Amino acid sequence: MRSPGRAGAAQGGVPLIRPPSIIASKDLEVTDKVPPPPERLAPHKWLGRGALKKYCRQERQGLELYLSKLAEERIRNHALSKKEERLEVMGFLLGTVHRFRNVTYTIVKDVATTSLEATSVSVRFERGGLEDLFCALDTTDFNYVLVGWYHSHPGHGCFLSETDVNTQLRMFDRPWHSAMVIDPVQMDIAAFAMKDGKAVERPFAIYWDEFQNPYYGETVRNRRVRSDPDGMAAPQ
Amino acid sequence: MNVRIRNAETGGTVDMELEGENTVQEIIQGASAFWNKDDGAYVIRKGKRLLRGQQSVAQSGIADSDELELIPDPEGGA
Repeated sequence: MRSPGRAGAAQGGVPLIRPPSIIASKDLEVTDKVPPPPERLAPHKWLGRGALKKYCRQERQGLELYLSKLAEERIRNHALSKKEERLEVMGFLLGTVHRFRNVTYTIVKDVATTSLEATSVSVRFERGGLEDLFCALDTTDFNYVLVGWYHSHPGHGCFLSETDVNTQLRMFDRPWHSAMVIDPVQMDIAAFAMKDGKAVERPFAIYWDEFQNPYYGETVRNRRVRSDPDGMAAPQ
Repeated sequence: MNVRIRNAETGGTVDMELEGENTVQEIIQGASAFWNKDDGAYVIRKGKRLLRGQQSVAQSGIADSDELELIPDPEGGA
């Protein structure tokens, strides 16, 4: 297999330079693994009633995205740290990909980020910050895959903008890739995936490890819910 | 020389044969084309070091059996 590059040609004594060529390849092996058990799962405290209904429905069918308590805390704190300035934040979701009962799912164990070029409506990694990002990636103690990315929409709500969809289609195009959006002002969070070229919400659970305190501690305040006619308000 | 390139966003790898005169940009283009990606949206690293596109393999200090990693450079908006 020959990849594109400079077409080397021996002209006038100039030595031929062959473009790089790919001689072997290997795809990710998705392993079978039982997902975190229901007793160590909870929906995010910032979900509204509609999102909570979607969560309950998806939980019965098998969730496709699990976010560790640690990753959740880091994403939330990152977004909250720029809440007053109304600046967006962004980072990678680091995790693993597994399969259980014909459902492919991802576990986000941690996140990685660096200094950013951000406004209230745009964000990207600062050019000079990429090597710090690499250091952050190297501090993980597992063989990570970038199973998606997160960014914030301070005060704008959770959705994928045209720029976000473009990023998702160009880079995170596997069915298991997710885009997580957090709004620290409205206390809202959602994950999305691309399906048939459209962004669809992907319900996700927070999980915690066996010997950790549960996610439902005092550090995450519940989103305020005005009334609860369906009995679907976020658990306390 | 042969190097291995890992695609951070899929976990896949390719083994690539290089010459010292090849550029880093050509490596990115070759790997991106293999994975059907837009090469403008990626950077490549060797360890903690960002490899510069116009540098040659020799100038970048890439050696036989090195492992490089292709990293996306995303952009978010609202």
